[in-house]
Amino acid sequence: MTNNISLYFHIPFCIKKCDYCAFYSIANQSEEVKQEYFEALLRQIEFFDTNKHIKTVYFGGGTPPILGIERLCALIKAIKEKFVLTDNCEITVEINPKTVDLGALRTLKAAGANRLSVGIQSSCDRILSLIGRIHTFEDAKKCIADARSCGFKNISADIIFALPEQNEEEFKKSVTDIIAMGVDHISAYSLQIEEGTPLYLKRNVLHFPDEDNEEAQYSFLCDILKENGFSHYEISSFAKDGFESRHNLNYWACGEYFGFGAGAHSFYNGKRFSAVANVNEFIEKSYISLFAPTDYEQAEILSQKELDEERIMLGLRTSKGAFIPKKAEETAKRIATLGYGDFENGILALNSKGFRVSNSIIAEILI
Amino acid sequence: MSDIQKIRNFSIIAHIDHGKSTLADRLLEYTGAVAKRELDEQMLDSMELERERGITIKARAVRFNYKADDGIEYTLNLIDTPGHVDFGYEVSRSLAACEGAVLIVDSTQGIQAQTLANAYLAVDHDLEILPVINKIDLPSADPDMAKREIEDIIGIPADDAPCISAKMGIGIKDVLEKIVKEVPCPKGDSEAPLEALIFDSYYDAYKGVVVYIRVLNGRMKLGDKVRMMHTGAEFEIVELGTLSTFSLDKKETLEAGEVGYFTASIKNIADTDVGDTVTLVENPCEKPLPGFKKSQPMVYAGIYPADGSKYGDLKEALDKLRLNDSSFTYELETSAALGFGFRCGFLGLLHMEIIEERLEREFMLDLITTAPSVIYEIHKTNGETVYIDNPSNYPDPATIETACEPFVKATIITPTEYVGTIMQLCTDRRGEYIDMKYIDTNRAELHYLLPLNEIVYDFFDSLKSKSKGYASLDYEFKDYRPSKLSKLDILLNGDIVDALSFIIHSDRAYPRARRICEKLKDNIPRQLFEIPVQAAIGGKVIARETVKAMRKDVLAKCYGGDITRKKKLLEKQKEGKKRMRTLGTVEVPQEAFMAVLKYDDE
Repeated sequence: MTNNISLYFHIPFCIKKCDYCAFYSIANQSEEVKQEYFEALLRQIEFFDTNKHIKTVYFGGGTPPILGIERLCALIKAIKEKFVLTDNCEITVEINPKTVDLGALRTLKAAGANRLSVGIQSSCDRILSLIGRIHTFEDAKKCIADARSCGFKNISADIIFALPEQNEEEFKKSVTDIIAMGVDHISAYSLQIEEGTPLYLKRNVLHFPDEDNEEAQYSFLCDILKENGFSHYEISSFAKDGFESRHNLNYWACGEYFGFGAGAHSFYNGKRFSAVANVNEFIEKSYISLFAPTDYEQAEILSQKELDEERIMLGLRTSKGAFIPKKAEETAKRIATLGYGDFENGILALNSKGFRVSNSIIAEILI
Repeated sequence: MSDIQKIRNFSIIAHIDHGKSTLADRLLEYTGAVAKRELDEQMLDSMELERERGITIKARAVRFNYKADDGIEYTLNLIDTPGHVDFGYEVSRSLAACEGAVLIVDSTQGIQAQTLANAYLAVDHDLEILPVINKIDLPSADPDMAKREIEDIIGIPADDAPCISAKMGIGIKDVLEKIVKEVPCPKGDSEAPLEALIFDSYYDAYKGVVVYIRVLNGRMKLGDKVRMMHTGAEFEIVELGTLSTFSLDKKETLEAGEVGYFTASIKNIADTDVGDTVTLVENPCEKPLPGFKKSQPMVYAGIYPADGSKYGDLKEALDKLRLNDSSFTYELETSAALGFGFRCGFLGLLHMEIIEERLEREFMLDLITTAPSVIYEIHKTNGETVYIDNPSNYPDPATIETACEPFVKATIITPTEYVGTIMQLCTDRRGEYIDMKYIDTNRAELHYLLPLNEIVYDFFDSLKSKSKGYASLDYEFKDYRPSKLSKLDILLNGDIVDALSFIIHSDRAYPRARRICEKLKDNIPRQLFEIPVQAAIGGKVIARETVKAMRKDVLAKCYGGDITRKKKLLEKQKEGKKRMRTLGTVEVPQEAFMAVLKYDDE
């Protein structure tokens, strides 16, 4: 295992929650709370001592810019002061096109952010508004152009497929539009209707693509991205050569990471744990101490068997694949024969078709 | 008055749910043989399953005293009878141990199929029948209708039949008075050679088999050497006595006319067949009592542990159940699909359900049961006749001269409005109409010859649902008749699943095959490859469905390194897989087997 670790910062603030979002995030938070949360994060950085080097930093959310660009920059600064960063440390900030202007992007870049993950989702404004996004495609285009002009060389776009009220042609247009923006990385997720979300309430009113349509969209996505030089390197991730998200790859390689903020997850010193997913409670706790395992929810120490299983479960998410234990070799061979991937030198690596049914494949390998 | 003249041996007979167990409880309570509290607590514990289903599964007997209005204290032996058509023979042996029968008729329902069947059985045994009209406390009670039906249909006077509510405890004394007045005392000679009828038995871990008997003639004493006339087994009596509510009351002797028990260090319950005659080795009676039959399983099914590694547990459980129930049989069976299991024989479907449920409840086993099969009589071209209870052993059709299947004579009593649908049902199930009688303007009694195979296949459930629960059924084995039979095989991904094969009438094969393929398709979860589901007779495929390959099974988001959801999902998936049976390369959940065995007309 490498001695380098990743840091994740969770910023659970939004201007408005999207209609499909089931993650922990709060809209319309006051400046006071944002400031207190920011200070709590600073305290957490202060408490966390490690002699390991930092290879990636990721600000996710929510919508990190909502914390305040200056505060984000201050966090990056604090990180740089407290820890040793590797030379090519990847520092990603998730943004919503509507939440950053040229000035903000310039400030972030100057502070050290070098990768952006932009929630574009679709090029169709009708759909964007239907699912509760606050921006238009025009906003997205401007955002990418601004980012490029400030010198961001590594930009990722999020795409959602299996959206409601969208025909095949519209979907294809949306994908080609987004590719045409010249991004380096694409994360593509099929829309999940989660209970408790506004979209869930509308699930019977809206027209969703059926199974065949959804699979057609997925195939189209895989094919066209491949044609355009993107490799399908992880279940939902496509990258041009050298633009893979190193932060996410660290997750799949069972690398260590430490999460900062409410609801952030960590895998550190052989333990998986997460902080309380409540901003106010998190702020309160930050005054005491944050690094005793008892302060975390679901702290679990992984046994060797669990570690091995996780390695396979996470490894099979990527095109690099996972080493398959002897007892599952026959199964792995069969899976390769069925066209779901390659099995060579003891390593099973799934392809686009295999990714799509990876839960079943993983279960078969691990049973 | 001599002792024998003060004995009354009687049964209570009734259709299911007409109140037999409740009346029995009330009689014991009224005469002080048992306190109400004891009844609730102890009897509830004794056989949970029985109480829940409202049926008495195993016969048993109890002796109690009643001081009648004439001032004499009588000894009453109540011999309980199983209340279901599967146990017809056991009922007949219990009745053979009595001189009278209390016939309960529910005043809200009138006569039902089993009322009739049981009444006829009682008539056959020359029993004094005492009609009793029950449930008069209910608003819909119509005691006059019930009495009229008894007189018209069974042909016995019912004018002065006690009208009671066993539930509310109304009229219990009237029943007791009727019993002592009208049930004849036993006729028997204690000085004659011993003649005792076995009507039940159970296994006790300390005493060995406890045998319930009615002494018809002669006397049984401690230390006597006795012989079971049919099995030929000989034993020395270790203990004997009479039966009180919750215990055995030891005695020195049992005299003619008495009902009681004995033990004789009997290890094997099969040595004490119900209906056998017990006599003394020295000075035996001339011939056994009439009416003995070796109880024969009518229905067979394979029982397998859902988890193949639990085979040993299943065997142990069956061994234990068999100790108390010699009417069910089992032998080792191996299925390519299901591994090691047992081919089990049952008296009927209810009997099968009871055994299954006891295995699951009392022994905490998860089971897969194959389609129940009747016994087919196959006359082969080489002159040989074979009996087939397992589709796997069905001979090559080329070697079959004639194939015969068992038919039963079914009696169905139904409100007239359902006659049409029920006749249709019987026709659909290849029934042959015999006749129909109107019991009154509202109800009809239908007689059909039906293949047992069709009855085994949830005929009863269909009958109930088509008559909104009102129709009742009774049947008895009639004979074997030539039939166009085929063995239907089910293939998954090209491989025959032996556990799903069954024998069927050729005319019914196509729709059944289609239906089964559909059901399998619906119940086999999509897998990583496409699975053809086929039904075939001989080599010929007659139905086909396809379980499409799985399209999507992925958890795309593992946001911010949160893999907990993914792990939970995986654990669930692993658990799910454990409940699956792998047939070749196909994983089949237990529910798929269940679904195939359930029939519906949709």
